[in-house]
Amino acid sequence: MSTDPVMHIASSGMRAQSARIRIIAENVANANSTAKTPEEDPYRRKVAVFETELDRATGLEGVRMAKAVEDRSDFNLRYQPGHPNADGRGYVKYPNVSTLIEMTDMRAAQRSYQANISVFETQRALISRTLQMLRG
Amino acid sequence: MPLDGLPLFSALKGAMGFNGARVEVIARNIANADTPGYVPNDLSGGRFAEALQAQARMGGGLGAAQPTRTHRSHLAGPAIEAPTWEESAAPDSETTLDGNAVVVEEQVARMTQTRMAYEAAAGLYQKSLAMIRLAAKPPGR
Repeated sequence: MSTDPVMHIASSGMRAQSARIRIIAENVANANSTAKTPEEDPYRRKVAVFETELDRATGLEGVRMAKAVEDRSDFNLRYQPGHPNADGRGYVKYPNVSTLIEMTDMRAAQRSYQANISVFETQRALISRTLQMLRG
Repeated sequence: MPLDGLPLFSALKGAMGFNGARVEVIARNIANADTPGYVPNDLSGGRFAEALQAQARMGGGLGAAQPTRTHRSHLAGPAIEAPTWEESAAPDSETTLDGNAVVVEEQVARMTQTRMAYEAAAGLYQKSLAMIRLAAKPPGR
């Protein structure tokens, strides 16, 4: 039985949003990860980038997370002269992750995920309605 | 005579096809709600209600069936054009900085409308079928 195109599109959307939430989870988990040595950079925030994909084998369209690019904005500097990673002026580099932004992004990803689920559910209901016509 | 010969049934079947195709377009839009540069599409056309009304004005009731020309001196019946539709770009009310023009709420609202139209057409089709079955039943059963 070949996959219904709409269900394939919706499930690929769900997969892409899940991958996006995984990236957000990585950011949040590493929000305070400093580097191992004072010379290295700490964790750098990652952003998920999506792209449309065409599955050549089945001809079905969908979307996928193409890559996770690094956010090139500046690191947060905090004044902590006693920290082992403090530079000459007493500042320590912290990741360029804002937990507030990550939480907002996660909510948007969750909303998109639910929209994809509703597409899936709508298609299921339409097919079920059509099959119901067989019952007279 | 196949059911498609009756304009009502072919119009309802066409409406179901149109709305089913529209669901696929909306699904693609929702899946790409965060893809940079993606502009959503929509289907235009699919004016089945108007086609059916025009047909009813000509033939009345369920609509006149299309007669087949089996001899060259037969007159052709009134031409019934099946409504067509086409897919074109339809950006939503907001475009983000990366060029994505999908607003998920608007797409979900459109999808709910499409679903209602599909279910209405399917329900009407089923009821009309039941009417024909009723008319074809032997009397007294």
